[in-house]
Amino acid sequence: MTTKTSLLKVILLGDGGVGKSSIMNRYVTNKFDAHLFHTIGVEFLNKDLEVDGHQVTLQIWDTAGQERFRSLRTPFYRGSDCCLLTFSVDDNQSFLNLGNWKKEFIYYADVKEPEKFPFVVLGNKLDVTERQVSTEEAQQWCQENGDYPYYETSAKDATNVAVAFEEAVRRVLAMDERTDHLIPTDTVKLHRKPRSAATCCS
Amino acid sequence: IHPSSDEDGIEQDLLVSGSLRIIDKDGEIIVEYRPLEDTVDPSNMLCAGKDSSSVVEWAQCPGERSHQLLETQQSYETEWDMVNAVSFKRKPCPNGEGESRWAFTFSVSDLRSITVKEEGWTFLIFKLKESSTTLPTLHFHQGGSREFLDSLRRFVCVLCVCRTPDDETCLIVSTPNKALSQSFENLLDDNNFGLVHKFKKDPYVTTLGGFSKVTNYIFDAFRGTEEQHQRPPEEVADLLGEVIPGLEINQQEEPGFEVITRIDLGTRPQVTRREPLSADDWTKHQDPEGRMIQIPHLRQVIFKGGLCHAVRKEAWKFLLGYFPWDSTLEERKALQRNKTDEYFRMKLQWKSVSEEQERRNSRLRDYRSLIEKDVNRTDRTNRFYEGIDNPGLVLLHDILMTYCMYDFDLGYVQGMSDLLSPILYVMENEVDAFWCFVSFMDQMHQNFEEQMQGMKTQLIQLSTLLRLLDLAFWNYLESQDSGYLYFCFRWLLIRFKRELSFQDVLRLWEVMWTGLPCQNFHLLVCCAILDSEKQKIMEENYGFNEILKHINELSMKLDIEEILQKAEGISLQIKSCKDLPDSVSSILGFTSDVSGSEPSNPGSPWAPRATQRQDACSNGHGHLRETSSHNSCKVAFIS
Repeated sequence: MTTKTSLLKVILLGDGGVGKSSIMNRYVTNKFDAHLFHTIGVEFLNKDLEVDGHQVTLQIWDTAGQERFRSLRTPFYRGSDCCLLTFSVDDNQSFLNLGNWKKEFIYYADVKEPEKFPFVVLGNKLDVTERQVSTEEAQQWCQENGDYPYYETSAKDATNVAVAFEEAVRRVLAMDERTDHLIPTDTVKLHRKPRSAATCCS
Repeated sequence: IHPSSDEDGIEQDLLVSGSLRIIDKDGEIIVEYRPLEDTVDPSNMLCAGKDSSSVVEWAQCPGERSHQLLETQQSYETEWDMVNAVSFKRKPCPNGEGESRWAFTFSVSDLRSITVKEEGWTFLIFKLKESSTTLPTLHFHQGGSREFLDSLRRFVCVLCVCRTPDDETCLIVSTPNKALSQSFENLLDDNNFGLVHKFKKDPYVTTLGGFSKVTNYIFDAFRGTEEQHQRPPEEVADLLGEVIPGLEINQQEEPGFEVITRIDLGTRPQVTRREPLSADDWTKHQDPEGRMIQIPHLRQVIFKGGLCHAVRKEAWKFLLGYFPWDSTLEERKALQRNKTDEYFRMKLQWKSVSEEQERRNSRLRDYRSLIEKDVNRTDRTNRFYEGIDNPGLVLLHDILMTYCMYDFDLGYVQGMSDLLSPILYVMENEVDAFWCFVSFMDQMHQNFEEQMQGMKTQLIQLSTLLRLLDLAFWNYLESQDSGYLYFCFRWLLIRFKRELSFQDVLRLWEVMWTGLPCQNFHLLVCCAILDSEKQKIMEENYGFNEILKHINELSMKLDIEEILQKAEGISLQIKSCKDLPDSVSSILGFTSDVSGSEPSNPGSPWAPRATQRQDACSNGHGHLRETSSHNSCKVAFIS
């Protein structure tokens, strides 16, 4: 009966310059441009995929990372199914800021049960030689903050990008199944209803 | 009423419950307060707090007024059950006194002002014209103060709303003449409580003028920033939803009806663009000592056709205000010498910060880090900035760093590299580019400030214009939660820098810098682009996300000459409109040609300024409500 496509909203958050737009573009268009403009305002792209037999349209939201633009990006947090917390392995400050991003997201997305919300952590720019954040440090942070899956990615050479998004989808679907057991069978589930937006080209 | 224990020797937590009514007594409007025990029949009372609709409905039969006054069962009176807090002790009923010591009445014609205060609940302080009489403060523990004020507005004109330093809102009122339409209100947001600020530009003109033209518009803007953070787009949209210029209330023959019609803007004139100003023409506008002459003509030519590229390096310095138009060549050389010194003095400041110092200066560190990242991501396909070791990149970086020293409070905000890049490209000189950038930033500063007030103001203004130009489209956007025009954010933040090809950005900017044909011309540029897209947006029935996506994807597909042509046409179309709402006139800087008789005063303190927040308490419905009473005024009011 589940031949319908679900629309999942995921949002990329992290400091300016960690590669949020590049990750999104690599995943959706499989292209990389080292000199891509920094994002002004808010953008999103759609991507259809199949995960474990589920047809899914991912709506990936990309925002401007600078603190100043907070009031203009936070309204878009609502309704997110998953949040990709992104830092750059060659920028320690962006790693230190992960906690702030998580906090900002939970606050403005109005997440009901923050401890259960599916976050995925991405350490981008794996291709650069001078690392400032070790894999162990990052894994430790993920463990301590809610056992989040951690992926070291490179938008430049496409390492782990698709895997990370697929994991995000799995986490969301797993969440849904858990909830489904709690919901009586005759309940109409509204929030995962296929929406017309899913047909919008990407 | 909270009786003061000092004065009255009563227990401190004592509270006098009562009801408040507005009574039409033979044409005189009376506000009456009675303690609860004094009311004739408590079952009569409508509880505004629970059912505001019962208060809003207001049936009135003028012919039977005096008769009905006696029959309190009729809905002729509206009452507010204000205070019914169980935790408070009720004052014992002072039997036999005839009239309670707390009861009071006054005629609204004696009313001078109402002060609205908030302390978890709202309380109102009435001031009468005779200052000797003081009335007790009314506390609305269960709400209803707004309904009361709204109803009171049918009988009094709120002339202006002032905000005192103590977070009070003071409504100065006057009773109007009959058969006058009263126009309201520019609203300003109250940051702390979301109260409404209403500004009446020139109340006396309206009161004395005796004609019924009403310009009525409401702004419902972003509220305080913290509050706004918590709002999803659709709620943000709601907050911005009440912009209604372009509405006119025509008083019909039949009393009691006001018909809202759209302003007829007439047809949009076709305009043609001209050739760019040539180097020859530019030199012809210089006197022998190098002063620019016939400046209005020069501006006009630049507005109509832009500049050929060879002239830009010189002309932009004038357009941006770095060079005064009436300066001689000698004076400009001296100016440049001074400005060069000043620039390098500031450049040396950040250049000489040691690593140790920077470690202790997180703001400088953050600015530098972001500038380095963004310089690498600004116009890298442009010849001037392409490649790895392009000197253009170093200049871009150094100028932005020096700007941080020039204005450390603002520092570097994303988007600023976009504004600098074309200027540096044209100037090909670090110092000149810096000072031209400083001038441009003077115009754009508010866009980048902490609260992004410039952005909010522009979005509101754009909404106002769009509503006038195309109510149907505006309504469509509104229906898709897009009425607050978020999708124009990038356009406005960096003046279309990302929307147009590099060469077209140069053209657009020099046209805008002429200041012609009106103030805020860039907003009409927005309207022109939206005008071309509205058909598709509505036909395809785009929702919130699709509209955002569609607008984002217009980038690099726009034709600048076509847009400028349309935008100029719109400006002429609006300018020729006789019944232009004040809101629109003041945004575009059109001064009223009807001197003194209309409440149009773009130079007034209420002209849109970024420091003023505009807001309304409206629920989005019934912006205008008909009221009917042959002896009282017509009031267009906000609920």
